[in-house]
Order: sequence, then C-alpha cells, then structure tokens
Amino acid sequence: MARRAHPTTPSKLILSLVIGFLALAGVGAYFFQKDANPFRTVEKLNPSDYYENANSLRGNIYQIEGTILNSLAWNPEKGRLFSIRVTTGDSKNWPLPILIPSSLRQINIQKNQTYRAKVRINDSGILLVEEVQKS
Amino acid sequence: MEVSLPEAPLPLLSNISAWYPASHFGAILGPSGCGKSTLLKVIAGIVPHTSGSIFWHGRNLEETDLPPGELGYVPQFSCTQPLLTVRENLTYSARLRRCASTQEMSDIIDQVVEETGLTELQDRRAGVLSGGQLRRLGLAMELTTQPSLLLADEVTSGLDPKSEEEITLLLSSLAQEKGRLVLLVTHSLRFLDFYDSVTILSAGRLIYSADPRDLTAYFNVATPEGIYPALAKRDAGTWAEEWLHLPHPPELTPTSVLDEIESEIARADEEKSSELPSFPSQASTWFFRRLKLFLRDPAQVFLQLSLLLVFPVIVTLFAYRGLPSVRNMAMSADSGVVDQLREALAFTIQSSRIGTLVSGLAMFQVILLALMGSNNSAREVVGDRSILEKEKLAGIRPGAVLLGMTLFLSFLVFLQSLWMTLFVRAVCQFPGNILAQFLPFFMVTGAITALCLGISSWSSSSEQASLGSLYLVGFQLPLSGAILALPDSLGTLTRPFISAYWAWSGYLQTLRDTRFYDLVRSISETPLSSYSMALWILLIHFGLGLAFAYFGIRRSQWR
Repeated sequence: MARRAHPTTPSKLILSLVIGFLALAGVGAYFFQKDANPFRTVEKLNPSDYYENANSLRGNIYQIEGTILNSLAWNPEKGRLFSIRVTTGDSKNWPLPILIPSSLRQINIQKNQTYRAKVRINDSGILLVEEVQKS
Repeated sequence: MEVSLPEAPLPLLSNISAWYPASHFGAILGPSGCGKSTLLKVIAGIVPHTSGSIFWHGRNLEETDLPPGELGYVPQFSCTQPLLTVRENLTYSARLRRCASTQEMSDIIDQVVEETGLTELQDRRAGVLSGGQLRRLGLAMELTTQPSLLLADEVTSGLDPKSEEEITLLLSSLAQEKGRLVLLVTHSLRFLDFYDSVTILSAGRLIYSADPRDLTAYFNVATPEGIYPALAKRDAGTWAEEWLHLPHPPELTPTSVLDEIESEIARADEEKSSELPSFPSQASTWFFRRLKLFLRDPAQVFLQLSLLLVFPVIVTLFAYRGLPSVRNMAMSADSGVVDQLREALAFTIQSSRIGTLVSGLAMFQVILLALMGSNNSAREVVGDRSILEKEKLAGIRPGAVLLGMTLFLSFLVFLQSLWMTLFVRAVCQFPGNILAQFLPFFMVTGAITALCLGISSWSSSSEQASLGSLYLVGFQLPLSGAILALPDSLGTLTRPFISAYWAWSGYLQTLRDTRFYDLVRSISETPLSSYSMALWILLIHFGLGLAFAYFGIRRSQWR
C-alpha cells in the first residue's frame, strides 16, 4: 500500500472516469437532441413525391424545413397561406404552399426566415401546419 | 533500505540501516548532496523507497502509514501564508488537522506559541518575520497536533549562529516531551552536544550512526570540523563497509524500553485526541482561509474588481445605444423585380451588420468571461502547492481542498457572470429571458474556471499554469466557429471540447423568438446547438475540470 504522501492513482480508474464522462455526455446529447428537433420522429416530406401526386399523400403527416418566400393569401378565419422553399439533399429548391391556421396566429412569420413544421396534407393538397418553430 | 531512480546510475541511498529510540533528538549530517534530505523524506513517506522497510513502533509503514497527527514534517522552505498573522497561520493549520472546540483550539495555540517562543509575535504577519522566526512558526504549525515523530529538514540552514542555536535548543527540548523522536537534517557540525545521536551520510551511504561524543575518535580527527575533510579522503563505500562490520550496541536497553513504553502510552493518548476533522470541516476551513487571504491582498481584490467592472463596459462600447431595429422584407410579391432585388440586397446588408453585431456581442461576453475564469484559478493550486503538500501530509483530504476552492471560486464566478449579463443586457437592450441568458454565462465561466483549476493542479510552476490557461482561452474563439465557420469535419471534431461554442449557442437560443436570432442564423454557417444541450455539455466540461483538478491535487508534487 502506498504511503499517504505519494498516493498512486490506478490508470484504470482514470480511464473509467473518462469513459464515464464521455458516456454521460453521449446520453445527455441523445436526450437533449429532442429539443433540437421536436419532430424528429415524424417522416420528412419528399417534395418530388408531393409534386408528382399530392392527392396520394392526403391525410399524411410530415415534417418540413424551409425558408418563407412570400405571403400568398390571408383569411382571418382560415389563416395565412405562404410559399416556402424546401431544399433537398441534392441542393434542389422546391417551392411549396403552406397554410398556417388562424389558431397559430401568434407566430410571427417573416420573409427569408427558416422554419421547421409538422404538417398535414389536407384535402386540397395544401400543407396545413399543426406545429411550427424556428429552426 | 535503498532508494534509486530509474534515470540515475547510482542509488540515492544505499544499504541504510538505523534505529532511533523514543524521547530522542537525532541529527542527520553529511556534506551537500549526500542524501540527508532524501532520507528524511523517505521516513516521512514523501519519497518512496525502492527496497527495505521502515518500522514505527513495530508497524511497517508501507502497510500502515503513520496517522497524520503522529507525524510532523518541517521542510526547509517556508510553508506559511505571508498575509496571515502568526496566530492565524497556526489556527488554520490546527483546524485542518485536529478536532477541538474553539476554547480547546485556543488553548492548544497558546501552548504551542509559548513553547516555540512566538508569544510576542503572534499578531504579526508571517510575511514580515525573520528567517529564524519563520522556522519557529513552521515548527509551531507542526506541533499543533503534538506529533510523536518530528522531522526537521535543514531548518537551521542560513540562520545566524544565535538563531541556529535557539532552534537547535528548541528541537532538543521538544524531544524530551511525550516520548517524541526528533530528527534534524543539517550540514552544520556545531552544537553536536545537543544531539542524542548523530547519523552521518556520504554519497548515499551510512557512514556512522551513534553517540556524537564518539564522533571525533571514530574519524580520528581533533575537532568535529575535521570530519568532512576526513570523509573526502576515502571512498564512501569503504567508510560504509567499515561501519557495517563494527559491533553495534544492542538496539533495546532498559532505558530505551522504558522510553518506548512511555512513548506508547503518550501515543495512545494522542491518537484519542487527534482525530482528523470531518470532510466538511476541512473544506470550510480551507474556504474561510482562502477568503481571508483574498480580502487581505489589495492587489488581487483590485484586479478582480477591475475585470468585473471593466470587461462588461468594453462589450457595451460596440452597442452603447442599444441594438439596432430590424427592418423586415415585404411579404407580398407585388412589387417589381428590381424593387424586390433592391429590398433583398438591403436586407442582406442589414443581416450582415446586425447579425454580426449580435453574434459578436454574445461571443465577446463569453470570451471575456472565459478570461476571467482563467484568471480566477490559473494559480489557485500551483501558487499554494508547497502548503498544500504539507497539509496533505498532515491529513487534509484532497476532496476537501477541492471543495473549499470550488466554494470560493463559485462566488467569483457567480458575481462575474451575473454582472456581465445584467450590465450588457441593460445597456445594449438585449431581449429575452434574463435567467436563461445568465445560465450559459455562469456555466461557461464555471467550466473554464474548473478546467484552469485542473491545469493549475497539474502544473509545476505558476508560469506554466498561466500559459496553459491562456492557451485554453485563446483557442476558444477560433475553434468555436462563431467568427469564422470551420470546415464541417473539423467543426464536428472540435466543437464538443470548446466551452465558448456551447455558451454562445445557448445564449443565442435565448433570442430565438426575436429577429436577431434569424439574422445571426442567416450570416453564420456554424450550426447552433439547442439550449439544454449547451447547458449539458458545459456541465460536463465543469465536471471534467473538477475531476482533472481532484487528481492533480491528490498527486504528490513535493519540490
């Protein structure tokens, strides 16, 4: 046994501590990822599928992330209709119509601003926003 | 017993065998570099021996070390706090080493002060004491636990003859109490009559260990001053072999047996009364001592106040009129293409200006807080290393030291991050939740302080610790990606380790509901982490810093 003035620290202890911290960081990162994208469990909309046949997607729920292009229409009862640009992995830009219902009127939507939204494709083929947040 | 170093061709100490009875004052003599101090450090347990055993009252010290209160070790260098008075030095030392009520503690100090002749000096600061007075104080600090083994390393070196005689006499009288063994390392051959035994070393070999009255006859010299020249005439190995083959007196005599019994009884009494203080008690003593030292040092208080007040002012110079308002783009596409392009251009220019300003102000606050963090703790351990090592030998737990330091530093961290948040927010008119903005700043200052505490605890000099801490802060800005975006792969690799990135990200997330956030996002290619993730990683950095510091404090670093 080492004497008090020169204690030895087993390298295994230090190694386990480092691994412990890394594991803690990893576990925390996994759980806190939820905050980064609350819709991570929702399927991403493939714009080409939408362009091909929007009717076939009616009633489905997707997540999209895009930049607001223009305000297209506004109705105090139905809400605000915008065009949003969604960029896919192959760097293609897809303008899509997105309807923010009047129940979400408190959200300040601005041009060139990027949002992440959970949308349902309604009977008219428009993306109806159920939840939205800035990305 | 033998002590060797892997890099040294010859052992530092070789074939050393000696025995000392209780109530004994022994001197360890020899020319410079002969291994006297090494031998004392081996007995204290500071230097590990390569082979052999050391026994104390029949116990092998490698199996059961000396209880902290039973060992007193007075190093050659001063281990006192110059800003504290003699009495304060003694009081804090005693509080770290033994349990006692306030009255009992005061009585112990009174007794020790009187014993060491420091009564008249007890209200004087240690920084103004003479060399001899400092050695007395060093001895007095060890006597607060009434150790039964007192080791003094060159405590008479460099003193005037009168002080040397006084200290030697004091040590001699201390050896008469409670069966105590006192061993003094010295190269002085004066006052040989005061010693009960003399051990002489030369080139790491034991040359002589017996009564000082037989010394001149053994070395065949007229006066003790002739011993060192006589030693030089023959090889140390020859002297050592000669000593080994001489018949030695039996180790236990009736007198020494009585002394041993007396010493055992005294030791049993001591063990009962010298239990170590609890972990929280040691931590709070360390904390209050540190706080007192801080308040006693006007330069340190002035520096901390200057940083606290000036750094936030520097940040606000860039937006002392408040943050500019943001002009949004028209939503409709009714205007002409030229107008739309003109508007888009104006918006891009605005984004670049305001986004850069907001992102820069956030990062500027973070970097200045990181600088304050490094200033808080870069010298915290390394500056007090000699005192820390001695207190560890006397029984303080490394965890208690760390807790005491952390408590003290937490006050600084709290004040620095709170004032930065409040001042910059008030002047620049930052929107967002105030508590949410305070937290990333508090965490990043705490994380950098903890990491620099770790650096300090592993550094061998203040300069090394300061440089290491400065590098840690210096790399935060370029590797955070806040000013210049890093290549994706490099950014992914470095970001987890850069505290500033997480604090910057966390702070910007508090602006998420404002247009400032959008403008920063539009100009920065570096991805922002979520708020909770940022706080979590900063907490991990803080924990890593503390763990790093704990092992640094725990390891032995005697100089």
